[in-house]
Amino acid sequence: MDTATSVRSHCVGTTAVVYASDYLNKLTGEKIERECRRQLDSGCRALVIDFADTQLVNSIGISILLGIIDIAEKNNAQVVFADVNNQTVELFKMLGLTRHVALAKDEEEALSTLSGFNPTPITH
Amino acid sequence: MNEVNSSESFRRVMGRVSRQEFVGRVAELERVVGQSSQLKNGRGLLLLMEPAAGVSELLRQSYDQLFNQRSDVIPIYFAFTRHETTAVSAAIEFLNSFLQQYLAYRRNEPELCHASLTLADIVSLAPSSDLQWIEQLVQLYGALRFSNDGKELVRFCLSAPQRVPPYVGRTFVMLDGAELADDLNGDVILGTEVLRVFGRSGFSFVLAGLRRQILDAAHKAKCNFERLDLLRLEQLSSSQANQLIEHVARRQQVPTNKEVRELMVQQFGCSPFFITHFLQSAREKNLALVSYLDCERLYADELLGGHLHYHFQTLLEEIAPQLDTRLNLIRLLWEGVASNENSASVEAWRRRLRLDTEEFEYVMHKLHIHEFVNWTGPSLDTTTGSTTWKDYLKVSYRLAVLNEPRALVVADAITDALKRAPHTIARHYKRLGQISLRDLLGQLDCQRVPRMLFDYGSFAKKYKGVADGDVLQGIESETDLLKLPQVVHVASSLAFNSVLSQVCEEDKCAVAHSFEDGVYSDAQEVVWLVARVESKLEVDYELAKLWFERFDSLAQVFAFRRYQVWLISSEGFSEDACSWLLERSAYYSNDHQVELLTHQLGVSIKPQSEDIDTPDEFLMVVPMGEDNELLAATTVEHVARRLSFQPAAINQIKTAIVEACINASEHSFSPERKIYQRFRVEDDKLVVTISSRGILPTNVLGGNASESNSESDDVAEERRGWGLKLIRTLMDEVEFEKVDEGTSLRMTKYLRNGEPGQTRSK
Repeated sequence: MDTATSVRSHCVGTTAVVYASDYLNKLTGEKIERECRRQLDSGCRALVIDFADTQLVNSIGISILLGIIDIAEKNNAQVVFADVNNQTVELFKMLGLTRHVALAKDEEEALSTLSGFNPTPITH
Repeated sequence: MNEVNSSESFRRVMGRVSRQEFVGRVAELERVVGQSSQLKNGRGLLLLMEPAAGVSELLRQSYDQLFNQRSDVIPIYFAFTRHETTAVSAAIEFLNSFLQQYLAYRRNEPELCHASLTLADIVSLAPSSDLQWIEQLVQLYGALRFSNDGKELVRFCLSAPQRVPPYVGRTFVMLDGAELADDLNGDVILGTEVLRVFGRSGFSFVLAGLRRQILDAAHKAKCNFERLDLLRLEQLSSSQANQLIEHVARRQQVPTNKEVRELMVQQFGCSPFFITHFLQSAREKNLALVSYLDCERLYADELLGGHLHYHFQTLLEEIAPQLDTRLNLIRLLWEGVASNENSASVEAWRRRLRLDTEEFEYVMHKLHIHEFVNWTGPSLDTTTGSTTWKDYLKVSYRLAVLNEPRALVVADAITDALKRAPHTIARHYKRLGQISLRDLLGQLDCQRVPRMLFDYGSFAKKYKGVADGDVLQGIESETDLLKLPQVVHVASSLAFNSVLSQVCEEDKCAVAHSFEDGVYSDAQEVVWLVARVESKLEVDYELAKLWFERFDSLAQVFAFRRYQVWLISSEGFSEDACSWLLERSAYYSNDHQVELLTHQLGVSIKPQSEDIDTPDEFLMVVPMGEDNELLAATTVEHVARRLSFQPAAINQIKTAIVEACINASEHSFSPERKIYQRFRVEDDKLVVTISSRGILPTNVLGGNASESNSESDDVAEERRGWGLKLIRTLMDEVEFEKVDEGTSLRMTKYLRNGEPGQTRSK
């Protein structure tokens, strides 16, 4: 698994879609956090974190996700996790993450969930 | 120095062990032997020994090396012993030993050193070229022996080596146990006489003894220090002490294992004296030392009645011969140790000991010489002795002063030592695994380093989540540089304020006196106040403030005109903590920044590496970090597939293993930084055992007590304490197995109904 490369992301209106890598650990979690901060600082008002590639997560990675949720809250931004596999959903449930974040089947569903919160699209 | 032939021709004369078995002290051995060189031009060498650091074997090995060299240097080794009662008898014994060893060397017959010879025998054995001066010496001795001038006789005996004719060779006298020379009765102070005679002889010599005593005696004898060299002999390094234990244990046929050896090294502070006596005791009792329990049982026996007990008891009897004084002394010493008293009133001690001034000063002087206390004028520090000394004091106090039942004292000595053992090892491993603050600060010498290494906020903003190589490259190209001061003295903050010991370990906080630009002026003087703050997450505002205020208060108390606070935490500092510290011009770094700083300064830590035992089962060893937990997870995936676990269960096992590896990495203080994984496949289950050397905190093991000084926020801690919760949820059985030097985590996953190959379900 490659944890050395940077995080992929793109913007859809005021929503940033950030792609998690195959293994969510401290380093990759911090990369996602860094990218989310950057997107929020650039004016994004919602975050979609896409876990389509993610096969394994660890508890440090999950604690960083909670930190991202905190940061988003402080910035009045919404967060949706997309395309999370069943095993990872179980972990998120065990650790109470699902109480703080919406889950979507895929990126498309996540964006449509958030569409109501993005009245003023901006372009990056 | 001549090369010593290491073949069979090398004869052991004085050495108690063979050269191969002589551990450590290689440099010291060369230095002692080198002192006999003509180039040294008759200079004396004072071997200043830390108590229990062991010096006798070093001198004996030096003797053997010189004996085997067969050069013009005639080695003489003499050890003062407690058997001699007067300076005169000790001096006569010296004369006898000198003549025997001289003959042994001249005749090349080592056995003569240990023979029982009269003066008449010595004369009869003397080679013809030596006969005249030896006969003359014996006659003069006979005349002086029965005179009433003790001092004259002592000087005569001690100066005998100077009578050796120059054409024969040069004598090189090595005197051992100088501290004992001071305790002899009579009008002559032998230690002082030794230094007077040898210091003025023009011959090279070595005088070894307790460092404080030797220096004291040299000053009293008005020695010319320009003609003396000093060699400080401290305890062995951990690896040397480990090696010593292996050698002695093999010689004494005492079975040991690496865990116990490491414990002995740390518990005895690498002291060769304590280690060899302890192993000797194990041999006498025919004991194996293969568990902490074996070790601490014997330790308790030793404290209450073995070699260690005898050693300390003898010293105390010398220091305070009267029983009631001795008991009072034990009480005072233990009370001082128990209350961590580093500034007791000497006057209060004098009143409580009820001694006249001369007697009291004798006691204080002796305690100081043996480093049981530090006596400086009106106050004394009772916290300086070794752990073994403090343990001895404790049991002696309870038995002799409080008259507590012996069985209770023994039981407590064992249980206390057992409880302390894991923490002793954990502290050792922590020290190995981290860059020592003392070493790091000691390296600050006006270098210019990136300012960002002291500003976690900016560092995190720029480099958090960036790959290590890129961080290193980025740091190298930083242009905003900070000029470090020149540090001139570093000590633990606990030495300034012992109350800090409640929140920080000794080696995790420091006070470093320094000068900016290396300019020694008031204006440039700045005191760095540094601490490692324990926290698994970023240190929050409250904790950062608390530490800053502690240091601020310390600076006020000690009137530091200018000071610089530097806080270090493994994960850095929260945003509000950074802002608050920045406003106060404090420095604050995480471990990564400190690593980069050490890289810049060229400081290195050298973790001890150790051989891995040969596994006799399916064992995988991976280094901690670098995502290596994934290797374990991938391996277990293949193993689980063989058992036909369902994909969901396989994923659960993989996650549990990843968490166990992270747990091991975070909580273990293993110096080797390796994780051991055993996979055992059974019909209906997969058993995975993850272990590493080092200690898990007690809360992980389900206990309540913790020695941790961590003050980090509970909620934050909770967020990072999820690993174990996940493991317990994902696996069917989870069991911690406490072993002497660490913890194993055994996890079992059963095949469920419907899964192929299953024979039982949970």
